[in-house]
Amino acid sequence: MNAPVAPAGPVKSIGERAPLVDGPEKVTGRAKYAADYRSPGALVGRILRSPVAHANVIEVDTSAAEALPGVEAVVTGQDCDQTYGVLPIAMNEYPMVRDRVRYRGEPVAAVAAVDVETAQKALDLIEFRYEELPAYFTAEKARAPGAVQLHEKKPGNIERHAEFELGDVSAGFAEADLVREETFQCAEVCQVQSEPHATYAEYDAERDRLTVWPSTQVPYYVHLMLSRTLKMDQSRIRVIKPHIGGGFGCRTETLNVEIICALLARKARGAVSLVISREETFITHRGRPETQIRMKLGLKRDGRITAVECDVVQRGGAYSGYGVVTVLYSGSLLYAIYDIERIRYNGFRILTNTPPPGAFRGHGTVNSRFAFESMIDSMAEELGIDPFAVRRANLLKAPTFAANDLMINSYGLPECIDWVEKASGWRERKGKLGPNRGLGMACSHYISGASKPVNWTGEPHATVNLKVDFDGSITLLTGAAEIGQGSSTVLVQCVAEVLGIGMPRIRIIASDSAVTPKDNGSYSSRVTYMVGNAAIEAAQNLRSVLIDAAARRLEVAPEDVECLGEIYRAGSQDRGLEFNEVVMEALKDTGTLTVKGTFDTIPESHGGKKYRGAAIGGTMAFSYAAQVVEVSVDPDTAEITVEKVWVAHDCGRALNPLSVEGQVQGSVWMGMGQALCEETRYHEGLGIAGNMLDYRVPTIMDSPPIEVKIVECADPHGPFGAKEAGEGSLAGFLPAFTSAVADAIGIRPTELPVTPDRLLKLMEKKEQEARAQEKRRKIA
Amino acid sequence: MEYLPNFQVHRPGTAEEAVKLRVDNVDARFLAGGTDMIVNVRRGIERPSDLIDLTHIGELTEIREEAEGIRVGAAVTLQQLSDHETVRKSYRAASEAAGSVAGPTHRAYGTVGGNLCLDTRCLFYNQSEWWRSSNAYCLKHRGEVCHVAPGGRECFAAYSGDLAPAMLVHEARAGLIGPDGRREIPLAELYRDDGMDHLTMAPGELLASVLLPKETADIPSGYEKSRVRGSIDFPLAGAAARLRTRDGVIEDIRVALTGVRSWPFALTGTDRFIGQVLDDNVLDDLREMARTQSKPMRTGTVAPWYRRRVVGALTRRLAARLGA
Repeated sequence: MNAPVAPAGPVKSIGERAPLVDGPEKVTGRAKYAADYRSPGALVGRILRSPVAHANVIEVDTSAAEALPGVEAVVTGQDCDQTYGVLPIAMNEYPMVRDRVRYRGEPVAAVAAVDVETAQKALDLIEFRYEELPAYFTAEKARAPGAVQLHEKKPGNIERHAEFELGDVSAGFAEADLVREETFQCAEVCQVQSEPHATYAEYDAERDRLTVWPSTQVPYYVHLMLSRTLKMDQSRIRVIKPHIGGGFGCRTETLNVEIICALLARKARGAVSLVISREETFITHRGRPETQIRMKLGLKRDGRITAVECDVVQRGGAYSGYGVVTVLYSGSLLYAIYDIERIRYNGFRILTNTPPPGAFRGHGTVNSRFAFESMIDSMAEELGIDPFAVRRANLLKAPTFAANDLMINSYGLPECIDWVEKASGWRERKGKLGPNRGLGMACSHYISGASKPVNWTGEPHATVNLKVDFDGSITLLTGAAEIGQGSSTVLVQCVAEVLGIGMPRIRIIASDSAVTPKDNGSYSSRVTYMVGNAAIEAAQNLRSVLIDAAARRLEVAPEDVECLGEIYRAGSQDRGLEFNEVVMEALKDTGTLTVKGTFDTIPESHGGKKYRGAAIGGTMAFSYAAQVVEVSVDPDTAEITVEKVWVAHDCGRALNPLSVEGQVQGSVWMGMGQALCEETRYHEGLGIAGNMLDYRVPTIMDSPPIEVKIVECADPHGPFGAKEAGEGSLAGFLPAFTSAVADAIGIRPTELPVTPDRLLKLMEKKEQEARAQEKRRKIA
Repeated sequence: MEYLPNFQVHRPGTAEEAVKLRVDNVDARFLAGGTDMIVNVRRGIERPSDLIDLTHIGELTEIREEAEGIRVGAAVTLQQLSDHETVRKSYRAASEAAGSVAGPTHRAYGTVGGNLCLDTRCLFYNQSEWWRSSNAYCLKHRGEVCHVAPGGRECFAAYSGDLAPAMLVHEARAGLIGPDGRREIPLAELYRDDGMDHLTMAPGELLASVLLPKETADIPSGYEKSRVRGSIDFPLAGAAARLRTRDGVIEDIRVALTGVRSWPFALTGTDRFIGQVLDDNVLDDLREMARTQSKPMRTGTVAPWYRRRVVGALTRRLAARLGA
């Protein structure tokens, strides 16, 4: 008989600090990005952009360009009469202008030529004739009476007015011991992901088929919009996502680059590579809108919040994009972090002649969180309450529903607050750091995937296939877009954990529409939660198949089979079957196996119906974060140094702590860019900071040590209890930072970014006021 | 980045050959590190048919100790200059300034000559061809209007080299090679306060070297710069100073600024501080002097009034540091 052996137990993958599975390709340079795809004979695409911000198109004459030798295709607005856009209710953008130009740099025409020089020559030969219209570069001017409408159906240039009032807000203010209001101004910011936008498209003229490699976060949305704009049946299109150099939200909708490249390829009946410059990537925009916020808060003497009133105006750019969703998030996510009943919200999304913003990391929540946390902090100070105490006075208790019906099943904010207070030495150090140095704290939260998809089809939110074949390998097929955030790694970990096998046995193929199941893409921090759950279900289904197979071979009942990962056995005395033997048994009669897992959200998570747009904010789970920021301020130059950040993030369960820490640090760092130095600026609608010298992303010299604490407040529905990890820590940085500045020099900036010139102005104003006061005292 | 147009690269072995190539072809440009110029080529500001690579010319790539001082070849990299032992010890401002230029990769390629001859900068000028053509170009390049001061006929593009003020306080001399031979001029005479044409060199002339004279060796000196980020950025303002005190009394002082006009320049009137005690009053006067003699304009994203304030603060801080 077989001698009893002591087989190793199942291999653990969840909770391991696993390096990213696609890391080796990236660090060795083997990874292919969209710009690296170039078959012999592929043409070079190039876009002609409008020199003016607002104009009626009279004519785009391409005849000379078409006649230029080496030019294979020229396309204009006449080649595409279908609008596109991420929201089915707000598709009002054409890939190239037809009747109207609405922002400077908007595509007018494009060419595909044998080389870049020829393509540029062709662009120079295109005659663009137009009649200029008054252009509006601020929300204020676009809203002014008599302003020319950018879009026919948008009177007053209002893209969306979102409003709600829950509870009796006026009564809430009447009950308060302290009521204050303040206006905050946040500059427009861009993601500045490392890879400029690029697309490669191949058109197969014989079969009328199109294959596209876009630098996107949402291959499926691109697929949908290509089908719509090119009027091609979806079945004739294949979208393959190459490696992606980041996105942070600017690629969560189809971009004109992708459609233009496909239009060129089809017209040229060949392959076209369209790689746009950093400046053009800035022009394509989809970052965070310039936002003005008026925030009014009522507080009881004990710190309890009695009422909130928040007015938001977002400069929405020339097209809808995600605008409606952004302005709704800004209101709805005032909820679900603290115990607040009464909120009145008025949000305006205004159409302007600037590039359209979109869904920047922390979508919609960041600027209003900045205003809210700033207010509660300064009001607490006025009441003599500690910043920690005021937050603790308003905590929620999970499970619960927020006043606007957002579902909250797990809530690790108290633990986050406790940790940053202790780790930063707040009690011992606050107020004792000497001149020009200070500490500030703030909290933030974010959704783990929007519960209702943008395109409602009735399909589950996520589907994962696992293919098992003769070689004993497992191929994980997913549409989830790996964009550098580590989604592929976490999905492999989920499957490996359930099966108890090592990660190397699993190979992942992500986002090829011909091969992988459809997925909505990487945005709203949905992948780990939704696709992770689908991966777990798929792995569980595979495990049952394998257990059944093992039971057949071992001639025992399935419930008597013990799965040890690489070994399946019946009882501890059994030597058991190796994984490959089990697989071979499972394939008998059926051949190659494909099992599936899906995930769908529960109706309770779909948000409410108390006001129009109340579904926005609905999610299966919220992440929570708290942070303390320490700064020093140079009294002569007003330069701010971020000395250190302590951040605690409740991600439910860290499936990959290495990855979570990276995401949290990245969020904090991105928040720091917005707080400290990043902003787009326009001269008559022309971006003056469309490069990485004038658009100042912090460098490593500006990066403080960021100490991360992972708080694991497991969510009952999360994959192994996990929640969002990649966005929730961003928003807290901004108010924690300005609070730290206030602690350091007694001035709380309300305008972002706090560049040295802005801060020096505030410092001099304070000095002048102090001098004037001194003078008055002397006279008296 | 925009695409790089085609050009022919030449790699002469001597300075004279390089000058001849330049004189023979008006569309040729000298190339050393390329960290600034190639950006302008990609943006269509420079459209050279030929580039003359200076990095294989022996005399341009060395730092030599001569009887009159230290001679620094124009193609010596900023990192080499910053790290050079004698420069660090005896011409501290030059070492500090070179070490503060942009980021480490720029300093590994960028050269002394390139930084000294840096083109003036303006946000209406350092933009892509599409951008500038959409904005009717500007006075400095192809256009009729200065967008910074639309009424005038003057260009206010800011000189933004870090090294020049440091070299100026050490009274460096510029070694030039032209079609008519070699000459040496005070470095200060290499510049004029004109954003459109800030270098005084004759057509075809090449900056071959800089002499740091032994007369100013070992006098305490330093460089301070202001920028939004701790790396990469050009100076919003920069100040270099050389300052020697004995028992708190100023014996020798010279201050030069960058980033606040179209040329790097030495402050005038600092001689009156000689013989005075370096106290708060003198430091405040120095700050005022730096502010008054600066004329920053809206050529960048940071407000001009801030640059004027900060150049005063930097000057004061630097003088206090050197006098301590």
